[in-house]
Amino acid sequence: MGKLKDIKGIARTSAILIAVIIIIIAAVGVYYVVYYEPAPGEPFKIAVVSDVGGRGDLSFNDMAFKGGEEAEEDFNVHMVEIISTVEADYVPNLEIGAKDENVSLIVGVGFLLSDALADVARRYPDKNFVGIDTTAQLVIQDDYPNEYPLPNLMDIWYEEHKGSALVGALGAMLAAYWQHSYIGVVLGMEIPVLWKFEIGYKWGCDWAINWLATNHPELDVGIVATPKKERVLWTYTGTFSDITKGYQAAKPMYEKGALAVYNVAGPLGLGINQAVEEIADQYNLVYGPPFWIGVDANQDWINPGFVIASMMKRVDLGVYYATELVREGIFRDTVTDTNGAITLGVGTEVAGDLKEGISVSTLSDLDEFIAMGERAEQLTGTEVLPMEPAQIRTKVQEMRDDVPDWIWDGIEELEEDIRSGDVEVPVALTQDVVDSWRDVFG
Amino acid sequence: MKRFKIPEVPMRPFIQSGVGVLLGLFLGALLMVIFGYDPIIAYYWLFRGAFGSVSDIMETLAFATPLMLTAVTFAIGVKTGLFNIGAEGQMYLGAVGAAAAAGAITLPAGLHVAVATAFGMFLGALWAVPVALLKMWRGVHEVISTIMFNWIAFHLATYLIVYYLADPGRAERTVPALPSARYPTLMEGSTLTAVVFIVVAFCIGIYIYLWGTKAGYELRLVGVNPDAASYAGVSSRRVTLLSFVIGGLAAGLAGASQIIGRPPAWSLYATLGNVIALGFDGIGVALIGRNHPIGGIFAAVFYGGLRHGSRLMEYRAGVFSELVRAINGLIVVALAIPEIVAIIRRRFEK
Repeated sequence: MGKLKDIKGIARTSAILIAVIIIIIAAVGVYYVVYYEPAPGEPFKIAVVSDVGGRGDLSFNDMAFKGGEEAEEDFNVHMVEIISTVEADYVPNLEIGAKDENVSLIVGVGFLLSDALADVARRYPDKNFVGIDTTAQLVIQDDYPNEYPLPNLMDIWYEEHKGSALVGALGAMLAAYWQHSYIGVVLGMEIPVLWKFEIGYKWGCDWAINWLATNHPELDVGIVATPKKERVLWTYTGTFSDITKGYQAAKPMYEKGALAVYNVAGPLGLGINQAVEEIADQYNLVYGPPFWIGVDANQDWINPGFVIASMMKRVDLGVYYATELVREGIFRDTVTDTNGAITLGVGTEVAGDLKEGISVSTLSDLDEFIAMGERAEQLTGTEVLPMEPAQIRTKVQEMRDDVPDWIWDGIEELEEDIRSGDVEVPVALTQDVVDSWRDVFG
Repeated sequence: MKRFKIPEVPMRPFIQSGVGVLLGLFLGALLMVIFGYDPIIAYYWLFRGAFGSVSDIMETLAFATPLMLTAVTFAIGVKTGLFNIGAEGQMYLGAVGAAAAAGAITLPAGLHVAVATAFGMFLGALWAVPVALLKMWRGVHEVISTIMFNWIAFHLATYLIVYYLADPGRAERTVPALPSARYPTLMEGSTLTAVVFIVVAFCIGIYIYLWGTKAGYELRLVGVNPDAASYAGVSSRRVTLLSFVIGGLAAGLAGASQIIGRPPAWSLYATLGNVIALGFDGIGVALIGRNHPIGGIFAAVFYGGLRHGSRLMEYRAGVFSELVRAINGLIVVALAIPEIVAIIRRRFEK
């Protein structure tokens, strides 16, 4: 009985306590709601919604935010970053941007946001939506065919096949120079998008061999002497997450004599890097060969001296151009003209202007990514960069200086030929096309 | 038949939870003050973000729905004296089951939803059985075995998605549920679907089962006093199995609800990104809800509100996202304290 009384006593005291606290909070709350005035609205805002990779991924999301920052400087806009932590965040996060009256452009980063973008763009017809690497208009085409193309929605795609051709040619020229017999490529799951990389890379290798025959006939060993169908070693690992598989695929390639291996499997690049590091340790190498080739972002900093270059998809430029289109008031016209999908690559035009989005990494890109790396270190508190920024720069510089100028010139020539339309890099999007090119290049 | 009478509702848990909420909000406010933010403005946006409009309330409920169930999984374990943290893995299997049944077979509309739901629940329950058997036959502690089974489930699910259920055009996810297997959305554009009714009904059903039936009484008896239970002729083995299976059903339904009851993807990602951590979050929700299936409903809504509302707190009040998560964490911990204390006290009193 006494115990019960105690409990009742405690309950009464805490009830009074709660009541007092609630009254105080309510009073302060009312005060704030009555006297709180929202900050004066900025005239033009863009909202960039990340995928689950978030800030500090040193790839798609960081590049998108960088593009937004550049747009801030040039177009007098303000960027808001919205970070998604789980997939269920995509719809509400896009909506937060859409509900803000000052936001006129909402950017979704990465193909995972396709469904969410299509959904939200339909419900907010006054706002403009852009997806990087997304297929949101195709979702509209499938689910709401009579609304296709949605006038306020734009997918931005990249010409990965052209970029892959450039690094394929680079790899082949390096292999000829260092007299290695092969180059390699490690791919993720065998999905249509990756065929573009595979065939582009093989085509670039072939272009380089022909180019060498005319320009450097003295180089007649190594990859030049390898039969046409065996020059490129390629493996689909079936995964985008199992780093060990990247190692397992790359290791035999290097053992067979591949000079460079192209990473087309995201994080599996770390597995490729592991294979390179083993060889470097074994022979006490400070610089490659062997090399590997980065993808999507500038990955040259991951192992300075051993990543010869990266095939970059300029997500930053995608965000920047999209902002420009909205700022100039021609966003919706462009959507109408292009069925809601623009392509950035080599020699591509948008609304009559040359707007490119594919490039082979350079030293100045490297600085930007080192800056991103430093920021990611601050953000996560863990070490990201493998060495001091200055040291990374010096090592990459020295590695690049080690490559004869005619190779860099040759790559530039190919880029120029692609831009002018003198050569055309094949796009493989169907099984038939892929098979026919595999018949040619192995 | 004896009619089910709702037991008298004790006030004490409500008071404790109220104090917990206030304490958590206060600690979070303190944190914001330290980092130079205005806590009142931040909380104003948190609340408005979570409950400020009909569509926000629906979004909050959509986040809450799976947590109500994974909370039941943990709660029913505690009620039978078990520490079942296997909801995560069972939920993966439920999601895989629902994705397979919803995407791969064709059935008439109503039936298809039912079959996909049932299959998800079945797989969730099935995944709980080995854990129960290990406990019953070999005395393997459920904490160890459920953690292990969670990982096995993770890799099994990934394998099944990548090699058997992947959408040929979009290999990062499973074939989306056919329209006939989708729960209807409750409002244009909302991600809340009719599955929420099934989920709430399930929670109420568990409540009635635990407090209104003989089997439920036996279950609780084993939790409160296993010796008395065995003296009264209650088989603790049977109760253990039952507790795990019911927990598995709940977790399986949680997984299924995210596939056939959550637009816009209507499918399971190969990374399991759209279900991951729902099982673990359910433990926190169960603790806030005082390990009670009805309490879990309210706790899940609270948790969902934090989840959804915090994005506006971040957007409008500018509180950076890591701090937002820290504040949410503080509130959850403060809320869970009374139940954690209760569990520890019970252990010692035994």
